[in-house]
Amino acid sequence: MILHLLNRSPATAGTVDDALAAMGPDDRLLLIEDGVLGALPAQASLFTGLAGRLFALREDLAARGLLERCAEQANIVDVEGFVTLTEEADKTVSWF
Amino acid sequence: MNETEIATGERVTEGDLLVILRHSPHGSSWLREGLDTALVAAAFGQRVSLLFSGDGVLALLDGQQAGALGQKGTHGVIDMLAMYDIETLLVDAHALISRGLSTEDLLLPVSVVEGAALPKLLDQHRLVLNF
Amino acid sequence: MASSEIYRYLPVLDQEVALDPEGFLVDMADWSPAVAEALAAEEGRILTAEHWEVIQVLRDFYERYEVAPAMRPLVKAVGLALGAEKGKSLHLMRLFPDSPAKVGARLAGLPKPANCL
Repeated sequence: MILHLLNRSPATAGTVDDALAAMGPDDRLLLIEDGVLGALPAQASLFTGLAGRLFALREDLAARGLLERCAEQANIVDVEGFVTLTEEADKTVSWF
Repeated sequence: MNETEIATGERVTEGDLLVILRHSPHGSSWLREGLDTALVAAAFGQRVSLLFSGDGVLALLDGQQAGALGQKGTHGVIDMLAMYDIETLLVDAHALISRGLSTEDLLLPVSVVEGAALPKLLDQHRLVLNF
Repeated sequence: MASSEIYRYLPVLDQEVALDPEGFLVDMADWSPAVAEALAAEEGRILTAEHWEVIQVLRDFYERYEVAPAMRPLVKAVGLALGAEKGKSLHLMRLFPDSPAKVGARLAGLPKPANCL
Protein backbone atom coordinates (compact mmCIF):
# COMPACT_ATOMS: atom_id res chain seq x y z
CA MET A 1 0.00 0.00 0.00
CA ILE A 2 1.30 3.43 -0.96
CA LEU A 3 0.41 6.63 0.89
CA HIS A 4 -0.03 9.42 -1.68
CA LEU A 5 0.35 13.01 -0.51
CA LEU A 6 -1.36 15.81 -2.42
CA ASN A 7 -0.56 19.44 -1.62
CA ARG A 8 -2.25 21.24 -4.51
CA SER A 9 -5.82 22.48 -4.66
CA PRO A 10 -7.87 20.34 -7.05
CA ALA A 11 -9.59 23.48 -8.31
CA THR A 12 -6.44 25.10 -9.69
CA ALA A 13 -4.07 22.29 -10.65
CA GLY A 14 -4.21 19.07 -12.63
CA THR A 15 -1.97 17.45 -10.06
CA VAL A 16 -4.93 15.68 -8.49
CA ASP A 17 -5.58 13.82 -11.74
CA ASP A 18 -1.97 12.60 -11.86
CA ALA A 19 -2.23 11.38 -8.29
CA LEU A 20 -5.55 9.62 -8.81
CA ALA A 21 -4.34 7.98 -12.03
CA ALA A 22 -1.36 6.50 -10.21
CA MET A 23 -3.28 5.15 -7.22
CA GLY A 24 -3.82 1.45 -6.75
CA PRO A 25 -6.96 -0.06 -5.22
CA ASP A 26 -5.51 -0.17 -1.69
CA ASP A 27 -3.54 3.05 -1.81
CA ARG A 28 -4.46 5.96 0.42
CA LEU A 29 -4.55 9.67 -0.32
CA LEU A 30 -3.71 12.28 2.30
CA LEU A 31 -4.56 15.88 1.46
CA ILE A 32 -2.07 18.36 2.94
CA GLU A 33 -1.35 22.08 2.57
CA ASP A 34 -3.52 23.45 -0.30
CA GLY A 35 -4.50 19.87 -1.05
CA VAL A 36 -7.02 20.10 1.81
CA LEU A 37 -9.23 22.24 -0.42
CA GLY A 38 -10.10 18.90 -1.97
CA ALA A 39 -11.91 18.04 1.25
CA LEU A 40 -14.65 20.59 0.51
CA PRO A 41 -17.97 18.93 -0.32
CA ALA A 42 -17.98 20.64 -3.72
CA GLN A 43 -14.87 18.64 -4.67
CA ALA A 44 -16.11 15.38 -3.21
CA SER A 45 -17.07 13.89 -6.56
CA LEU A 46 -13.38 13.71 -7.50
CA PHE A 47 -12.73 11.21 -4.75
CA THR A 48 -15.77 8.96 -4.86
CA GLY A 49 -13.61 5.94 -5.59
CA LEU A 50 -11.61 6.44 -2.41
CA ALA A 51 -14.15 5.51 0.25
CA GLY A 52 -12.24 5.00 3.51
CA ARG A 53 -8.93 5.85 1.84
CA LEU A 54 -9.19 9.65 1.73
CA PHE A 55 -7.58 11.65 4.53
CA ALA A 56 -7.05 15.34 5.18
CA LEU A 57 -4.65 16.97 7.60
CA ARG A 58 -6.39 18.66 10.52
CA GLU A 59 -3.80 21.41 11.01
CA ASP A 60 -3.98 22.51 7.37
CA LEU A 61 -7.79 22.44 7.41
CA ALA A 62 -7.93 24.46 10.63
CA ALA A 63 -5.49 27.06 9.35
CA ARG A 64 -7.75 27.64 6.35
CA GLY A 65 -11.00 27.71 8.33
CA LEU A 66 -12.12 24.50 6.65
CA LEU A 67 -12.30 22.15 9.61
CA GLU A 68 -16.09 22.44 9.95
CA ARG A 69 -16.64 22.62 6.21
CA CYS A 70 -15.28 19.21 5.23
CA ALA A 71 -17.02 16.53 3.25
CA GLU A 72 -17.90 13.51 5.37
CA GLN A 73 -15.89 11.14 3.22
CA ALA A 74 -12.62 12.80 4.27
CA ASN A 75 -11.07 11.24 7.35
CA ILE A 76 -9.44 13.99 9.35
CA VAL A 77 -6.05 13.17 10.85
CA ASP A 78 -3.62 15.28 12.83
CA VAL A 79 0.15 15.24 12.44
CA GLU A 80 0.41 12.14 14.62
CA GLY A 81 -2.13 10.47 12.36
CA PHE A 82 0.04 11.50 9.41
CA VAL A 83 2.95 9.66 11.05
CA THR A 84 0.79 6.59 11.61
CA LEU A 85 -0.38 6.60 7.99
CA THR A 86 3.24 6.84 6.88
CA GLU A 87 4.20 3.91 9.10
CA GLU A 88 1.37 1.79 7.74
CA ALA A 89 2.40 2.43 4.14
CA ASP A 90 5.17 0.65 2.21
CA LYS A 91 6.24 4.02 0.85
CA THR A 92 4.94 7.50 0.26
CA VAL A 93 4.68 9.37 -3.02
CA SER A 94 4.28 13.15 -3.08
CA TRP A 95 2.27 14.97 -5.75
CA PHE A 96 2.90 18.69 -6.00
CA MET B 1 15.00 -3.24 -18.73
CA ASN B 2 13.96 -5.30 -15.75
CA GLU B 3 10.78 -7.13 -16.49
CA THR B 4 9.09 -9.89 -14.62
CA GLU B 5 6.08 -11.94 -15.49
CA ILE B 6 3.39 -11.55 -12.89
CA ALA B 7 0.48 -13.84 -12.27
CA THR B 8 -1.80 -12.17 -14.81
CA GLY B 9 0.79 -12.60 -17.56
CA GLU B 10 1.09 -8.83 -17.81
CA ARG B 11 4.68 -7.53 -18.11
CA VAL B 12 5.69 -5.24 -15.31
CA THR B 13 8.74 -3.09 -14.93
CA GLU B 14 10.47 -3.13 -11.56
CA GLY B 15 13.43 -1.34 -10.07
CA ASP B 16 14.92 0.55 -7.15
CA LEU B 17 13.81 4.01 -8.15
CA LEU B 18 11.03 5.36 -10.33
CA VAL B 19 11.44 9.01 -11.29
CA ILE B 20 8.25 10.58 -12.62
CA LEU B 21 8.91 13.55 -14.89
CA ARG B 22 5.86 15.79 -15.30
CA HIS B 23 7.36 19.06 -16.50
CA SER B 24 8.50 20.15 -19.94
CA PRO B 25 12.01 21.31 -20.87
CA HIS B 26 12.97 25.01 -20.65
CA GLY B 27 9.93 26.22 -18.66
CA SER B 28 11.30 25.34 -15.24
CA SER B 29 14.15 23.42 -13.67
CA TRP B 30 11.95 20.51 -12.56
CA LEU B 31 12.80 18.27 -15.48
CA ARG B 32 16.55 18.84 -15.19
CA GLU B 33 16.46 18.21 -11.46
CA GLY B 34 14.53 14.98 -11.96
CA LEU B 35 17.00 13.80 -14.58
CA ASP B 36 19.95 14.75 -12.34
CA THR B 37 18.43 12.73 -9.52
CA ALA B 38 18.10 9.76 -11.85
CA LEU B 39 21.73 10.09 -12.96
CA VAL B 40 23.03 10.26 -9.40
CA ALA B 41 21.03 7.19 -8.40
CA ALA B 42 22.26 5.31 -11.47
CA ALA B 43 25.85 6.36 -10.76
CA PHE B 44 25.41 4.58 -7.42
CA GLY B 45 24.27 1.43 -9.15
CA GLN B 46 20.54 1.77 -8.48
CA ARG B 47 18.15 0.39 -11.08
CA VAL B 48 16.35 3.49 -12.27
CA SER B 49 13.18 3.76 -14.35
CA LEU B 50 11.89 6.99 -15.82
CA LEU B 51 8.21 7.69 -16.38
CA PHE B 52 7.49 10.64 -18.66
CA SER B 53 4.04 11.86 -17.87
CA GLY B 54 2.03 15.02 -18.58
CA ASP B 55 4.17 17.76 -20.13
CA GLY B 56 7.20 15.62 -19.25
CA VAL B 57 6.76 13.79 -22.57
CA LEU B 58 8.09 16.91 -24.27
CA ALA B 59 11.50 15.97 -22.85
CA LEU B 60 11.61 13.12 -25.38
CA LEU B 61 10.59 15.10 -28.42
CA ASP B 62 12.83 15.01 -31.46
CA GLY B 63 14.39 18.26 -32.70
CA GLN B 64 14.99 20.13 -29.44
CA GLN B 65 17.56 22.91 -29.23
CA ALA B 66 19.19 25.23 -26.73
CA GLY B 67 16.92 27.93 -25.29
CA ALA B 68 16.55 31.51 -26.46
CA LEU B 69 19.39 32.77 -24.30
CA GLY B 70 21.55 29.80 -25.15
CA GLN B 71 20.64 27.78 -22.06
CA LYS B 72 21.37 24.11 -22.51
CA GLY B 73 18.30 21.99 -23.01
CA THR B 74 17.81 18.58 -21.46
CA HIS B 75 17.97 16.56 -24.70
CA GLY B 76 21.71 16.02 -24.18
CA VAL B 77 20.92 14.33 -20.88
CA ILE B 78 18.23 12.18 -22.52
CA ASP B 79 20.81 11.10 -25.09
CA MET B 80 23.22 10.24 -22.26
CA LEU B 81 20.85 8.07 -20.19
CA ALA B 82 22.05 4.88 -21.85
CA MET B 83 25.60 5.64 -20.70
CA TYR B 84 24.29 5.51 -17.13
CA ASP B 85 22.48 2.23 -17.91
CA ILE B 86 19.12 3.95 -17.56
CA GLU B 87 17.26 2.03 -20.22
CA THR B 88 13.78 1.78 -18.78
CA LEU B 89 12.04 4.72 -20.42
CA LEU B 90 8.29 4.71 -19.96
CA VAL B 91 5.75 7.09 -21.39
CA ASP B 92 2.22 7.60 -20.19
CA ALA B 93 -0.03 6.82 -23.15
CA HIS B 94 -2.55 9.51 -22.24
CA ALA B 95 0.17 12.18 -22.07
CA LEU B 96 1.18 11.39 -25.67
CA ILE B 97 -2.33 11.16 -27.06
CA SER B 98 -3.59 14.33 -25.43
CA ARG B 99 -0.71 16.24 -27.04
CA GLY B 100 -1.26 14.71 -30.45
CA LEU B 101 2.09 12.94 -30.32
CA SER B 102 3.16 9.40 -31.04
CA THR B 103 6.28 7.38 -30.32
CA GLU B 104 7.47 8.32 -33.83
CA ASP B 105 7.99 11.88 -32.60
CA LEU B 106 10.40 10.78 -29.89
CA LEU B 107 14.19 10.71 -29.74
CA LEU B 108 14.46 7.21 -28.35
CA PRO B 109 12.53 3.97 -28.28
CA VAL B 110 10.24 3.94 -25.25
CA SER B 111 7.65 1.70 -23.65
CA VAL B 112 4.16 3.14 -23.63
CA VAL B 113 2.27 2.59 -20.39
CA GLU B 114 -1.52 2.58 -20.28
CA GLY B 115 -3.19 4.39 -17.39
CA ALA B 116 -4.41 1.16 -15.84
CA ALA B 117 -0.83 -0.07 -15.46
CA LEU B 118 0.39 2.97 -13.50
CA PRO B 119 -0.50 1.78 -9.97
CA LYS B 120 1.39 -1.47 -10.53
CA LEU B 121 4.36 0.46 -11.85
CA LEU B 122 4.57 2.56 -8.69
CA ASP B 123 4.12 -0.53 -6.57
CA GLN B 124 7.03 -2.32 -8.26
CA HIS B 125 9.62 0.33 -7.37
CA ARG B 126 11.15 0.64 -3.92
CA LEU B 127 11.15 4.43 -4.13
CA VAL B 128 9.08 6.81 -6.24
CA LEU B 129 10.06 10.46 -6.73
CA ASN B 130 7.94 13.04 -8.50
CA PHE B 131 9.39 15.94 -10.46
CA MET C 1 30.97 22.16 -12.52
CA ALA C 2 33.59 24.44 -14.03
CA SER C 3 34.61 27.25 -11.78
CA SER C 4 35.44 30.63 -13.25
CA GLU C 5 37.58 31.54 -10.29
CA ILE C 6 41.27 31.79 -11.18
CA TYR C 7 43.27 30.33 -8.31
CA ARG C 8 46.71 30.00 -9.89
CA TYR C 9 48.54 29.79 -13.20
CA LEU C 10 50.33 26.77 -14.62
CA PRO C 11 53.23 27.59 -16.94
CA VAL C 12 53.13 25.49 -20.11
CA LEU C 13 55.69 26.37 -22.80
CA ASP C 14 55.08 30.08 -23.43
CA GLN C 15 51.54 29.93 -22.03
CA GLU C 16 50.19 30.73 -18.53
CA VAL C 17 47.20 28.43 -18.04
CA ALA C 18 44.60 29.58 -15.50
CA LEU C 19 43.47 26.89 -13.06
CA ASP C 20 40.61 26.90 -10.55
CA PRO C 21 41.11 25.94 -6.87
CA GLU C 22 40.79 22.25 -7.70
CA GLY C 23 43.25 22.39 -10.55
CA PHE C 24 40.69 22.29 -13.39
CA LEU C 25 41.10 24.58 -16.39
CA VAL C 26 39.21 27.84 -16.06
CA ASP C 27 38.94 28.08 -19.85
CA MET C 28 38.53 24.75 -21.65
CA ALA C 29 39.92 26.32 -24.82
CA ASP C 30 43.33 26.45 -23.13
CA TRP C 31 43.66 22.69 -23.39
CA SER C 32 46.34 21.07 -25.51
CA PRO C 33 48.28 17.83 -25.17
CA ALA C 34 51.14 19.88 -23.68
CA VAL C 35 48.74 21.23 -21.03
CA ALA C 36 47.64 17.67 -20.22
CA GLU C 37 51.27 16.64 -19.80
CA ALA C 38 51.99 19.59 -17.53
CA LEU C 39 48.90 18.82 -15.40
CA ALA C 40 49.97 15.17 -15.20
CA ALA C 41 53.54 16.15 -14.28
CA GLU C 42 52.15 18.11 -11.32
CA GLU C 43 50.73 14.82 -10.05
CA GLY C 44 54.00 13.03 -10.74
CA ARG C 45 52.44 11.16 -13.63
CA ILE C 46 53.79 10.52 -17.11
CA LEU C 47 51.10 10.01 -19.73
CA THR C 48 51.33 6.79 -21.72
CA ALA C 49 49.41 5.67 -24.79
CA GLU C 50 46.88 4.06 -22.44
CA HIS C 51 46.29 7.39 -20.69
CA TRP C 52 45.91 9.24 -23.98
CA GLU C 53 43.27 6.92 -25.36
CA VAL C 54 41.15 7.39 -22.23
CA ILE C 55 41.68 11.16 -22.38
CA GLN C 56 40.34 11.04 -25.92
CA VAL C 57 37.29 9.06 -24.77
CA LEU C 58 36.69 11.71 -22.11
CA ARG C 59 36.94 14.52 -24.62
CA ASP C 60 34.63 12.73 -27.06
CA PHE C 61 32.12 12.16 -24.25
CA TYR C 62 32.13 15.87 -23.43
CA GLU C 63 31.85 16.80 -27.08
CA ARG C 64 28.71 14.72 -27.41
CA TYR C 65 26.95 15.18 -24.07
CA GLU C 66 28.35 18.50 -22.82
CA VAL C 67 29.13 17.08 -19.37
CA ALA C 68 32.07 15.22 -17.96
CA PRO C 69 31.13 11.61 -17.12
CA ALA C 70 30.93 10.18 -13.62
CA MET C 71 32.73 6.87 -13.03
CA ARG C 72 30.00 4.54 -14.22
CA PRO C 73 29.37 6.15 -17.62
CA LEU C 74 33.13 6.63 -18.05
CA VAL C 75 33.65 2.88 -17.63
CA LYS C 76 30.89 2.26 -20.15
CA ALA C 77 32.23 4.81 -22.65
CA VAL C 78 35.75 3.39 -22.41
CA GLY C 79 34.37 -0.12 -22.91
CA LEU C 80 32.46 0.95 -26.00
CA ALA C 81 35.38 2.86 -27.51
CA LEU C 82 38.37 0.72 -26.51
CA GLY C 83 36.92 -2.70 -25.90
CA ALA C 84 35.54 -4.58 -22.90
CA GLU C 85 39.03 -5.38 -21.62
CA LYS C 86 39.68 -1.69 -20.94
CA GLY C 87 36.14 -0.82 -19.92
CA LYS C 88 36.82 -1.89 -16.35
CA SER C 89 37.12 0.31 -13.30
CA LEU C 90 40.29 -1.56 -12.30
CA HIS C 91 42.03 -0.48 -15.50
CA LEU C 92 40.95 3.14 -14.99
CA MET C 93 41.93 3.09 -11.32
CA ARG C 94 45.40 1.97 -12.34
CA LEU C 95 45.75 4.77 -14.90
CA PHE C 96 44.14 7.52 -12.84
CA PRO C 97 44.34 6.48 -9.19
CA ASP C 98 41.90 7.60 -6.47
CA SER C 99 39.17 9.01 -8.67
CA PRO C 100 39.50 8.22 -12.40
CA ALA C 101 36.49 10.32 -13.39
CA LYS C 102 37.81 13.39 -11.62
CA VAL C 103 41.53 12.97 -12.34
CA GLY C 104 40.81 12.03 -15.95
CA ALA C 105 38.47 15.00 -16.48
CA ARG C 106 41.15 17.36 -15.16
CA LEU C 107 43.79 16.02 -17.51
CA ALA C 108 41.36 16.03 -20.43
CA GLY C 109 40.62 19.70 -19.81
CA LEU C 110 36.98 19.11 -18.89
CA PRO C 111 35.00 20.58 -16.00
CA LYS C 112 34.75 18.51 -12.83
CA PRO C 113 32.21 15.70 -13.35
CA ALA C 114 28.79 16.76 -12.08
CA ASN C 115 27.56 13.54 -10.52
CA CYS C 116 30.89 12.58 -9.05
CA LEU C 117 30.82 12.39 -5.28
